[in-house]
Amino acid sequence: MAEEPVAVLDTNVLLTLATPVVDTRSVAPSGGDPLRAVLTGYTVNVPESVVGEVGDATGSDALLSAAADAVLRASDRLTTHAVEGRNEPAAVGLDGGELDAIALANDLGADLFVTDEFNSTNYLLVAQALADRNTLYTTPHVLCSLARHGALDRRSVDALLTYFLETKQWSRTYVGALRREYLDT
Amino acid sequence: MAQDRTRIDFNAPTPLVERADDLAELLDTSRTRILVDALREELEELARDETVRSRVREAFYASEIDFETVESILGTEEALRMQLLYDSIDREPPEPQVETVPDAAEFYDGGVPEWPPGSEGSDEDAGPTA
Repeated sequence: MAEEPVAVLDTNVLLTLATPVVDTRSVAPSGGDPLRAVLTGYTVNVPESVVGEVGDATGSDALLSAAADAVLRASDRLTTHAVEGRNEPAAVGLDGGELDAIALANDLGADLFVTDEFNSTNYLLVAQALADRNTLYTTPHVLCSLARHGALDRRSVDALLTYFLETKQWSRTYVGALRREYLDT
Repeated sequence: MAQDRTRIDFNAPTPLVERADDLAELLDTSRTRILVDALREELEELARDETVRSRVREAFYASEIDFETVESILGTEEALRMQLLYDSIDREPPEPQVETVPDAAEFYDGGVPEWPPGSEGSDEDAGPTA
């Protein structure tokens, strides 16, 4: 059996994946669990600082807090690493968790590094900081790939993308291009 | 460094031109300088408008405009970001393993939290299925 690809995720990606899982409102799709699909489909590695940032997001009545709680409840599926010697956040414009995650991806030679930061120039900074920029993927891209490989059904991913487009500042143009490429929609 | 300049002729409402001339005289500058500054500011303002930015992205993804055009409108960083993202679309992520997905009750230690608060426990299943 082929080994699971090694993935490194940033805090925002984990919280994004958990959000539709915990959101019981009618606007949230109920057909697929993207957090479970990603954490099962890949060996997911995170730096300790990312787990810390997820913990920092708990403790309120906000949707994000419930999502963070879900991530912590699934944290047995995360392989956590101590990361040392990264650059100072202020020097490069990325936060501590992101920088640790990039350093970890480079150390592990990860097959994919997943970010939600594709709408800002941080995407360029992440690409520049990764040893192999071809391992850089976005959350919607990974969801589309999960649909293509049957880890989530296409209709579920389509509904998830619609949910995220309505709740996050994702580019409709980019997500539309991914849909055409992967979901035939 | 001096930039190339292009001469343009256009008709504008007379009161608008008179306002520009009055201001030019008051500020001891030229009508051309006022108009060029106004045009530059307007283009920068448009480039910050999300509707315009979205239209530029659409045009780029539909191959209606090239990298250089995006760069001239939105700047080098944004053009590079869009190019990088565009190039990544057909790069397939590594194939995930899909064989054994645990059920939600097993996956989430203590069950799936539910939001809005107070809805927890209302569902027999521990959340959506993968």
